[in-house]
Amino acid sequence: MRARSAFFAGAGSVAIIAIGWQAGVGTLVSSLPTSAPAASGTTASAGTAAGTTTAGNSAGAGTTGTTSNTSTSPSAAAPAAPAAPATGTVADGTYNGQTINTRFGTVQVNAVISGGVITDVVAVKLTDQGRQSVNISNQAAPMIRQEVLSAQSAKVSNIGGATYTTQGYLMSLQSALDAAGFTG
Amino acid sequence: MSVHSFESMGTVVSVRLGTAEVNSGSETHSEESALTASREVVALAAARQAFDALNERFSLYRESSEISQIARGELLLSDSSERMRDAYAQALLWREATNGAFTPHRPDGVLDLSGTIKAVAIADAAAAIHACGFTAFSINAGGDILTHGIPNDLATGAGDSEADANADADGDANGDADGDADADAENVRGWVTGIVDPQNRTELLSVVTLTPELPAMATSGSAERGDHIWARPGATNDFLQATVIAADIITADVCATAIIAGGQETLNHLTEQFEIAVLVVTASGELLANPRFPALVAR
Repeated sequence: MRARSAFFAGAGSVAIIAIGWQAGVGTLVSSLPTSAPAASGTTASAGTAAGTTTAGNSAGAGTTGTTSNTSTSPSAAAPAAPAAPATGTVADGTYNGQTINTRFGTVQVNAVISGGVITDVVAVKLTDQGRQSVNISNQAAPMIRQEVLSAQSAKVSNIGGATYTTQGYLMSLQSALDAAGFTG
Repeated sequence: MSVHSFESMGTVVSVRLGTAEVNSGSETHSEESALTASREVVALAAARQAFDALNERFSLYRESSEISQIARGELLLSDSSERMRDAYAQALLWREATNGAFTPHRPDGVLDLSGTIKAVAIADAAAAIHACGFTAFSINAGGDILTHGIPNDLATGAGDSEADANADADGDANGDADGDADADAENVRGWVTGIVDPQNRTELLSVVTLTPELPAMATSGSAERGDHIWARPGATNDFLQATVIAADIITADVCATAIIAGGQETLNHLTEQFEIAVLVVTASGELLANPRFPALVAR
């Protein structure tokens, strides 16, 4: 039972951080009760700014120990995620967080549990109707460099950067591409 | 595709031209290539003229320019040319749209429209090149980039002329959603464009694809040539560099400038107000991006 409450405390804090990050406000709720396990399955990453959070939700539910926590989210939630080492008392599945009304609309997150640890926190409901709500979720959020790096940089034809002067151009990458007649 | 460059507005303008649509009845290959070459000459001259004409009127570095006369008090703004007053009116609208983060006035009160004029020159040059029959081209003026259409060599097979026709139908440099379906269907074809790392200018921070839907990209920085960005009173030094991708180059340029000047607050405001993709490097070297940005990263 202690482990369970510890888990919920952990899940709650993770969720709060996630909500705060998504909604753009830091102080929203003090606790986040979770409901009974819902049907696990599709973990829709609705509207996550990063959009690359991947949950290693292994099908073999019984195997504890090696849990592939592959969350690569850059959000504040990422460092907090491994902080809930439950001891197998929590069944695998997707746990619905309570819906919370904020001034930006209704917010709800799910925690995905696999092998006794949180493998993902997914925002399932970010906003209500209304333009402002939609726009709030368009706000910029932290990212890690790997997420904006391209696999193929060989085909670049133009390079943008803070305005370079005529002299600055000579030292710019664009100058090299131009000299090579590089068209991408 | 051919690569050209010329100097104007204190920087270097780099132009890439795809093949032009040749409607003449030229029969031999050599005739055709000669025609293409002459079209390129005309298009580049027109592009250069677009830059030089605006520079002549709006450069504070030229003593004879109209804006220098205004700065010296020799000419009243109300007596200035229509183009000057239009540019000023447009800049004031941008000041309003950015809650004052972008301003057409220097701290000493002198009118300075360089914040919008380069972008206007890029748009004018693009219109001129397009009028010469080119349907796929890019213009890079000092790190601010406007593309049009989809590079010919990337357009695949039969889709080639189709994509060009769609881009052509847009009519102007601002682009439109016309080429949308094509770009989506072909999994993002467009101009592969790098963004320089402000902390290591020989490295790229990211590589994105500019498409007919969002063909324009502008970057502002607080490190290099920041003299044309003035922070309003109480402004922060939140960001090292801000890159904005938008449907037109003026929106991209003004938003990038305003985000550097206005910091986090302006960033939040503009991502709410405009259909833009933003990548920001904070003062501590961290990256911020809005949800539109990752979708544009070239994979």
